[in-house]
Amino acid sequence: MKTEEFLRQVTALPGVTGNERKAAEFIAEAFRPYVDEVEITPLNCVIAHKKGNGPKVLICAHLDEIGMMVSKIEKDGCLRLQSVGGVDPRVLPGMRVRVFAREGELMGVVGATPPHLLKDADRKNNYTFETLFVDMGMPAEEVEKRVSVGDTVCFEARYVELKNGRVATKTADDRACVAIMLRTAELMQKMQHSADLYFVSTCQEEIGSYGALVSGFSIAPDYGVAFDVTHADTPGAPKNSTHKIDSLVAAKGPFIHPYLEKKLEEAAHENGVSLQTAIDPRATYTDADELSLSRAGVPTVLLSLPLKYMHTNVETFDMHALTEGARMLAHYLAAVDESWEDELWI
Amino acid sequence: MDLKTLCEMNGASGDEREVRKALLEAAKPLCSHVKIDRMGNVIAYKKGKGNGKRHVLFSAHMDEIGFIIINATEDGLLQFKPIGGVDPRVAVSKYVVVGEKKVKGVIGALAIHLQSADDRKRVLGYDNLFIDIGAKDKDEALRECPPGSFVYYDNDYQEFGMGSVVAKALDDRIGCYNLLRILEGEYEADITCAFVVQEEVGLRGATGAAFASDADTVIVLEGTTAGDMGDVDPVRRVCEPGLGVCVSFMDNASIANRELYKELMDLAQEKGIAHQVKRGATGGNDAGAYQRGKEGKRTCVLSVPCRYIHGPSSVVKLSDIEAQYELAKAYAEQA
Repeated sequence: MKTEEFLRQVTALPGVTGNERKAAEFIAEAFRPYVDEVEITPLNCVIAHKKGNGPKVLICAHLDEIGMMVSKIEKDGCLRLQSVGGVDPRVLPGMRVRVFAREGELMGVVGATPPHLLKDADRKNNYTFETLFVDMGMPAEEVEKRVSVGDTVCFEARYVELKNGRVATKTADDRACVAIMLRTAELMQKMQHSADLYFVSTCQEEIGSYGALVSGFSIAPDYGVAFDVTHADTPGAPKNSTHKIDSLVAAKGPFIHPYLEKKLEEAAHENGVSLQTAIDPRATYTDADELSLSRAGVPTVLLSLPLKYMHTNVETFDMHALTEGARMLAHYLAAVDESWEDELWI
Repeated sequence: MDLKTLCEMNGASGDEREVRKALLEAAKPLCSHVKIDRMGNVIAYKKGKGNGKRHVLFSAHMDEIGFIIINATEDGLLQFKPIGGVDPRVAVSKYVVVGEKKVKGVIGALAIHLQSADDRKRVLGYDNLFIDIGAKDKDEALRECPPGSFVYYDNDYQEFGMGSVVAKALDDRIGCYNLLRILEGEYEADITCAFVVQEEVGLRGATGAAFASDADTVIVLEGTTAGDMGDVDPVRRVCEPGLGVCVSFMDNASIANRELYKELMDLAQEKGIAHQVKRGATGGNDAGAYQRGKEGKRTCVLSVPCRYIHGPSSVVKLSDIEAQYELAKAYAEQA
């Protein structure tokens, strides 16, 4: 499947943390043509195995997304929401959301008080989950029949192509990185590799990387590559916290294996791919944290795709960074060799 | 012309060309004479079968709220201001189209991870909101979207729930939709239907349209604020979708003619048309301009209750749209 088409479809699928089945099934089918075996685990991780005789490498990007759950149905029939993962309530007023009810998907509209009715004090306060509500467009008793507390709620799904190959969509975090893995698997069909490759689309990253935790245990890899998004330059961002949008970022720091990171830089340099550097002095808050501590430990690197407006319905990335990132990753994985062990520690 | 088509057209105050053209074409076969006046209003006149002694003007505004580009940052993000009353808190993270080329963009905001505790409390005003079209720098951004380009929420019309509709610009394309339907009828009285511009920036179109006919009675078809859901104080809820057309005794721009108000209330009662009184004097609309235009006219406003008005996703009930049409038509028939 073409990367653009995969992204357009996969970002539209619901996969709020803990309810990732639909996204997992779609991703499993997308990997199938490029690998030897595909498995969906009980927790909804997708493991795509491309066999080799060399070191075992686990490459992962998470397939779950931040979202919401219905926390209460009010007497007038409107829904109150609770965040699953870090949803910024400021993005919600006026948004059309998807409510995954027992008998199927319903559309709701997040209400916002008309400007005419606002008091001056209202204008100075941001909306919060306490003040926001979802209008289901039907009488309260009909809402009660269809919607239950605990139903999952997703952002509306659009895929907007902007100028210069940039794309704004829901759930670029982290399915854009799943797309990088998919493209890498496709590229590697025409490349020699000794590494035994496991492309894992992990579940439950947004609440603590539990998918990386369990798949790291079950696969027991020699090396790890975690893939997530990082922040691209945005107005108002604190200094030194963002990166240019147009190329991938490799992390450095105690959680990252320095030798493997150097190998990443070599793969980028030798193939003319730009690679930025991020410094993570402690936790990276990605799957890399759990993966690197799996079993007795897994030397791990972290690659990130810069993203504007993270955790919103308009997450914006650069398609060029994505495709070049896949090309670099393919070369890195093709270079993995048993001889790396000799230089890994001393 | 259906409501979906009307709502999905873009026409903020001062940029009504596309909507005006469509309304002019749609009105032409339905009336005796149609013209564009010097404000850009479309004035459709339909001669009645009677002696010409009664002449009623029905009015709706064709413009909508929107935004306008003022500049761009060095890194290619567009800066903008609102056209009409738009709460900037609702603009965050929305899809937009910009300018004549309909360039796609998004209104992004700093990710939650990067916000300080103060940032989270601070409301993003127009000085801190930007439209991202993917431009690499200021030159590219302004080449694609020069200052003065109009900006619209890029949202379609959808029916949802049970008999509900969500769309942008329901205020007041609903009125335009119903005016076209009124023009389809046959009446004893002479009828003028005025599709006016620039309501959202100060009732400017109607000020001109008040001179367009010698009608002494004006019925304005509007969308009005419904604050019936969520945590709005009971005294500020104004009206409730689903209970019928909203008849105003007053708002911030005019006081309805008492006899006309009573005639409309009685007519609704007599014909069994669902109706409610607008319980609050919020907002102001074209009735203010008509009432004080020329030698003065009697006015009254018939509104469709509209939740989340002036946003990308306003919500109305189809049954209220029908009630507005039924009552306006009934008035035209008995005039």
